[in-house]
Amino acid sequence: MSKTLRTGILVLLISLLLTSFSAATAGPMDSLKVTVDEVMQVLKASELDQDLKREKLSTTIRGAFDFASMAQRILARNWKKASPQERQQFTALLSALMEKSYIGNIEAYTDEKVAFVKERIKKNNAAIDTLILTDSKEIPVSYRMLLRDGDWKVYDVIVESVSFVNSYRSSYGEIIKKNGMTGLLAKMEEKLTQLQEQ
Amino acid sequence: MKYILLLLSATLLFSLPVKPLLAAEAPASVTSTAGSEDDFETDPFADEETEQLQVYDPLEPVNRGIFWVNDKLYFYLLKPVARGWRLVPEPARTSFDNVFSNLATPVRLANSLLQFKFKAAGIELCRFFTNSTVGLGGLFDIASENNLPKSDEDLGQTFGHYGLGSGPYLILPILGPSNLRDGVGRIGDSFLDPLPYSLRDDEVIVTKVFDAENKLSLDKDTYEGIKKHEIDPYLFIRSAYEQNRAAKVRK
Repeated sequence: MSKTLRTGILVLLISLLLTSFSAATAGPMDSLKVTVDEVMQVLKASELDQDLKREKLSTTIRGAFDFASMAQRILARNWKKASPQERQQFTALLSALMEKSYIGNIEAYTDEKVAFVKERIKKNNAAIDTLILTDSKEIPVSYRMLLRDGDWKVYDVIVESVSFVNSYRSSYGEIIKKNGMTGLLAKMEEKLTQLQEQ
Repeated sequence: MKYILLLLSATLLFSLPVKPLLAAEAPASVTSTAGSEDDFETDPFADEETEQLQVYDPLEPVNRGIFWVNDKLYFYLLKPVARGWRLVPEPARTSFDNVFSNLATPVRLANSLLQFKFKAAGIELCRFFTNSTVGLGGLFDIASENNLPKSDEDLGQTFGHYGLGSGPYLILPILGPSNLRDGVGRIGDSFLDPLPYSLRDDEVIVTKVFDAENKLSLDKDTYEGIKKHEIDPYLFIRSAYEQNRAAKVRK
């Protein structure tokens, strides 16, 4: 074996090693695909009853979303003014409400397919464009993701150009203006009990 | 051995991210704190479609009043009818919707032309001829299946395209969320609707109601979802409407 060949093989091995290191964290689209597949599988599982389905969906969603980041983006300027206790309470209430709302909305889509269209990554942020394909139309759903401790987590869902974070920032912002942070938290609490009773 | 070391160091050097190193030398970056809180504030995709929209709503009390009436109308009249209409198989209802969409071609065509979107205008023409003939009078959207996508254009978007702001937010009776710009646009677009030119007034109304009920039957209970999950549905819908319209204007 010639010296250059041996060198070549070694370089190849080293570069393989390097690429495998960088591929250790799954890309944002791949991790989103896993989540969406899991959700679709649960929705289609006819042998599971409603409660068990919701429980499974809840676990999947809690693992895939970064509710802390979502909460901070929604409160925006109000986040800085809020006390640590208020922040914590808001994040907890928001994640519970988002989960209910997400599950409630997704349950209407059972036999639809999801197409993954495009992935854009800028440093620790990613935008994944998908399409929900129904019989009559295509609904564009885009996800915004963030790299946290090696995992890509969703912090915003944009359906037909309507961002969840923006809608909540706008409506919660108005409520804070009128009723203050305590008022908002009380209303969120009230909504959650109302949803849990149903 | 010397070569290997040289190559190894070269590979390592190139695999290092060069940009952050250069940025660290710039004195300006020293002032920006790299705290965890700031990570959230910087969103590289924020400028695309997720920027915050402040909705101008000086008529809020009046709007909320009409919103309340529309809500009752929806739950006690419009939705029950649409739910009954769901007994008709979905493919049939989709076909009815396609016919109305095909008849609305003049609106999309004219507004594409007004915005100098000639490719979209050409596609609209192709769509109209394809769907009216092969698609059996618009019953089947053959064009969409053959990569001729519908371009969602209306006069409100044309106004927006030329820089006109949306003006005060409005809730229209029965029709729902709108704003001054889009409301005026609706009136303008109605002149391009072929129905009033070919049907009597009462026939036009019946046809319009049928179209709306058919659309409602195809909708996956969006309003019910919002009503159930949101603390203040009025505020949520207001923000959603303006975000959606702003994105359509940008496209």
